Amino acid sequence: MIFVPYDLIRVLFVLVLCTAALMITQRSLSSLFSIYAAQSLLLAFIALALLWKTGIENLAFMAGLTILSKVIVIPYVLNKIQKDIYTKRDLEFSYLSPVSSILISAALVFVVYKSFSTFLVDLSRDKVFFLGAVMGVSLVLIGMLIIFSRKQMITKIVGYLTMENGVLLFSMFIAELPFIIEVLIILDLIILTLISAILAFGLDSSMKEFHRKLNPFTFWFKK
Amino acid sequence: MTSFAGYVFLNTAFVLLISPLFISLIKKAKAWTQGRNGPPLLQTYFMLAKLMKKEVVYSSTSSVIMRISPYLNLTFLLAASVFVPLLFIPEPAAGIGNVFFFLYLLVGAKFFMALAGLDAGSTFGGMGSSREMTVSAVIEPVVIIVFATLAFVFKTMNLHEMFAQSLGASLPLNPAVLLISISLFIILIVETSRIPVDNPETHLELTMIHEAMDLESSGPNLAMMELSHAIKQTLLMGLLINVLMPWGLALEAGPVGIGVAAIMFILKGSILAVVVGFIESSLAKMRLFRLPALFMQAFFFAFVTILFEVLGRL
Repeated sequence: MIFVPYDLIRVLFVLVLCTAALMITQRSLSSLFSIYAAQSLLLAFIALALLWKTGIENLAFMAGLTILSKVIVIPYVLNKIQKDIYTKRDLEFSYLSPVSSILISAALVFVVYKSFSTFLVDLSRDKVFFLGAVMGVSLVLIGMLIIFSRKQMITKIVGYLTMENGVLLFSMFIAELPFIIEVLIILDLIILTLISAILAFGLDSSMKEFHRKLNPFTFWFKK
Repeated sequence: MTSFAGYVFLNTAFVLLISPLFISLIKKAKAWTQGRNGPPLLQTYFMLAKLMKKEVVYSSTSSVIMRISPYLNLTFLLAASVFVPLLFIPEPAAGIGNVFFFLYLLVGAKFFMALAGLDAGSTFGGMGSSREMTVSAVIEPVVIIVFATLAFVFKTMNLHEMFAQSLGASLPLNPAVLLISISLFIILIVETSRIPVDNPETHLELTMIHEAMDLESSGPNLAMMELSHAIKQTLLMGLLINVLMPWGLALEAGPVGIGVAAIMFILKGSILAVVVGFIESSLAKMRLFRLPALFMQAFFFAFVTILFEVLGRL
């Protein structure tokens, strides 16, 4: 079987879309984190495939960094938080039911495609770059939709992380962010996960309870 | 014309022969995940043979519908089986292979099954029919969109031509085909009443949809109903297999080609059946009101496929 790398990239896009659609409806938190990890892994693969095609070396670092931070560290921390807050599922949806969320996200992909097709087609080298931009921005919007339609803090965090994945995808294909900015963004993400971990379960409790609940986290500050 | 008659005979015989096997295989796969040995692979054949020998009992309130619907059901599905070539793709014949005709045949079978459920006058049957119709009212638009997408991707309305194209495609991993396969898989799960939607093994009032309609059938009638369900499953599996991985399907009739195609299809079908069995064991049945979320996933993928296709040749 001979692969044309661009086709490989397109197949990976399809899989990224699948993970996004699953994220919208998934209720079990641990599966949600695994889906996020899978999505990030797919992004790393896309970066590697693009490296193979274009030879921009930054992409290799980007892939490595993505695997290290988003496939290993962040899901690990999220899983730890999930164990500490004794919540296994996020069952509540605000404003939108999962069904309408999916319909709206399909519409979002369409709108992004439509609005980009007016000016991006001529600019980009190959259609796959255009497609990457569309997928990236759609992923950002789908992440926003997740933040918007979920009630629990921890799923909102996952929504935010998805948005960042979208930005990464977009930057890989169109903008080509400097590598240092990528590193900064990922650092930001890790800090964000840690801080919102503390806030996420503190929000619904009083200060006294909050302190008691915070105790399990002291292992991060000891040593 | 004789070659076409030969195709119809061979294909129908093949479908009839292997359909019960896949039902047993799914049961077997489920049993493995539960640490059991499961029924023997030929169990479904034995069960059908046993039912064929039994006497038919009709409820006193039932009408002629109850008597003819098993035959109609089986006839509709056997007619539909001509549309999905599993061994070789025949010469084009008028109207055979049209996507929407295929869908109507499936829906026709479903309609008579629901009528039979109502006809016996038991509350369970009526409930099952009502649920089945509710679910199909929601899934039917999605099915039509998915098949329309299929027609759009392959630029033809004829199933046979679609399969010939996907067989001739140089690249097996076409993203559009991959996307549409996800939708087709969801449809396979829904239409054959598999677990997130319906539990095929339960006879509990609260959870059953499909089984409730068959409750009043007995003897050969029940055997025909079960067989038609198995055939429907094989057809939808065949559709998915022929679109996603058609390797082995013969383009012309010939003893070697047909033999290879038969072995390949049984192999691929068995893999798919085991996958379905594993997926069924790993999921819990969904609440009825959560089902639209599942259907909408199929719709989402169909929609995105059209988008991918519009974007250019992918």
